[in-house]
Amino acid sequence: MEVNVTYETQHLWTTWFAVYLYLGGLGAATMTITFLTDMYLKSHKTLAIWGALTGLIMVGGGSALLFIHLANHAAVVHVLNPLAIFFKPDAWIAWGTQFISWMMIASLLYVLPYMIESPIIANLPFISSVLKTRVVCGLGSMAGSGNIHKILGIFSATSGLGVAVYTGLLLQSFPAVALWNNPGVPILFTVSAFSTACALLILVMHIFMGRDEKDTLLRGLYERADLLLLATELLVVFLFYMYLTRGSISARVSAELLFHDLGWLLGFIGLGLVTPFLLELRSVLSLGHGQGQTHLPTVAAAVFVLIGGFLLRDYFMAAGIYVYPT
Amino acid sequence: MTRYAMLIDLNTCVGCNACMAACAIENQTPVWKNVWRTYVHDQEIGIGDDVRRRFFPRLCNHCENPPCLTVCPTGATYQRADGLVLIDDNLCMGCGACEMACPYRARYELTYTDIREGKVFYGNLRRTSPGYDKCNFCAQRIDAGRKPACVETCVGEARLFGDLDDPQDYVAKMAASGIAQPLMPQLGTRPHVYYINEMKRDV
Ligand code: SF4
Ligand code: SF4
Repeated sequence: MEVNVTYETQHLWTTWFAVYLYLGGLGAATMTITFLTDMYLKSHKTLAIWGALTGLIMVGGGSALLFIHLANHAAVVHVLNPLAIFFKPDAWIAWGTQFISWMMIASLLYVLPYMIESPIIANLPFISSVLKTRVVCGLGSMAGSGNIHKILGIFSATSGLGVAVYTGLLLQSFPAVALWNNPGVPILFTVSAFSTACALLILVMHIFMGRDEKDTLLRGLYERADLLLLATELLVVFLFYMYLTRGSISARVSAELLFHDLGWLLGFIGLGLVTPFLLELRSVLSLGHGQGQTHLPTVAAAVFVLIGGFLLRDYFMAAGIYVYPT
Repeated sequence: MTRYAMLIDLNTCVGCNACMAACAIENQTPVWKNVWRTYVHDQEIGIGDDVRRRFFPRLCNHCENPPCLTVCPTGATYQRADGLVLIDDNLCMGCGACEMACPYRARYELTYTDIREGKVFYGNLRRTSPGYDKCNFCAQRIDAGRKPACVETCVGEARLFGDLDDPQDYVAKMAASGIAQPLMPQLGTRPHVYYINEMKRDV
C-alpha cells in the first residue's frame, strides 16, 4: 500500500553493541591467526599463549556486554544449550554463541600445555597454583598429546573464523536496513576482524616480545597480510559506496549519513584504512625494518587499524536506516 | 487450513483509539510508558490548505515470512500453523534481535521494572518474566472462538478479522482482489494485515 514513510536510525543496539562486535571479531581472529601460526608457520608458544589470552579476554568481555543488555538473564540458558543450533539453525546468534563457547574452551585447552611449561605464567601468584593441580596437569598432558592438540588448534581456529563471520551475518539478517542486509557486511566485518587482529599481533610483538630478531619474518608476514587485508577493505568500502549511493531509500540515507560525516571519512577511511595502508606499504616496499630504523610507523599503523576497526562497527550500527510506513 | 489475517479500512477509522484501550486491558500492555501492541497514528496529510487528517492503526503484521522469527536464537518466537506469530515468554531472553529484524517496529521490550510496575498497574499481571512482547492477534481469544479485542471493540468497523484460506471470507476476498494491500510487500515478509487505503476525495 502506498503510504508515507519516515527514516529512522535505531536506538537499541548502539555503541555498546559495536564494542561487542569489535571485541568478538578481533578476539576470535587473533586466536585463529596465532594458532594457525603456531601449527603451520612457526611453533611459537609465547605467541599462542598471548593470542589465546587476549582472545579469551576480548571475546569474554564482549559476551559479558551482550549478557548485561539482555532483558531476561535467566533465559540465556536456552541459547547456551548446544542443541540450540539444531532447533534454531537459521538464527545466527545461536551459532555465534556456540562458536564463542566452544572456541573459548578449545583455545584454553590448546594453550594449557604451553602455560604449564611457561616460566612467566608459572610465576604468576594464583594461576601458578591452579596450573599445578592434578586435574589441570592431567588435562594439560592430554590436550598436549599429538593429534588431540592439533584437533584442538584446528577447532579453535575454525570457530574463531566462525565468530568473525558471524558478527557480520548477524547484521545481514535484518532485512529492513539496506546498509546491513547485503552480503558485503560479513565480508567487510571478517576482513576487518583479521586486519585488526594482525595489527594487534604486530603491536603485541613489538611492545611485549622485545622485537625478538627471530620474529622478524613473522612480523613482516603479519604486516604484509594486513596490507592485503586493508587493500581489500578499501575495495569493499568503495563497493559499499557504489551500492549505497545507487540503492534504495534506506541505502541512500545511510550513504548520506556515512559519506557526509567527517568521523567516517577522516576517522575510519582516512586514519583507519588509508594511513595505515600507506605506512605499511612504505615499510613493506622499503623493507624498513633494517638496522637502526624506527618501528614507530609500524606501531602507529597498527594503532590506527585498531581504531579504524572500532569506528567501522560504531558507524555501521549508527547509520542503519529503517524505513517505516507512517 | 486456516490462515488468520486482519483487514483495516482507513476510510472508516475515526481515530477514537478504543482498539488501543481494549488491547491494553486484554493484553496488559505497559501503557504507563506509552507503549502499545497496537497504535493508531494520527496524521495530517497534504500541503497548504489541502490538508486532511488520517488515522493509521498499526500492529504486528503476523508475517508469513517473519524476519523476527528467523533471527530469534532461543526459539521464543514461533509461528503457529494458523499463521499467528507468537512469543513464548519463558524462552525469550530479551536479546532484541527480533526488534532489530522487524521492519514494522511491532515489538517492544518489557524490563524487570515493567514487570514490577505491571503488577501494581494491573493487579494480577499474567506475564512473570521480562523479555519482548508484541501483538498476538489475541490468540487466547481466537482459541476460545472469539475475535481479537481490537476488532470486537472497533466502532467504525475499520478492523475485520478473517481467514485467508477461506474463499468465502470477506477479508480473503479483499486481499485477493488487490483492493486491500499489505505494508511494504517488497520486503518479502508477506504480512497478514491488509489495509484499504483512503479513497481520493475532495476536502
Ligand atoms: S510485523 Fe514484525 S514482529 Fe510481527 S511478524 Fe512481522 S516481522 Fe515479526
Ligand atoms: S528478544 Fe526474545 S523473542 Fe526476540 S529474538 Fe531475542 S529471544 Fe527471541
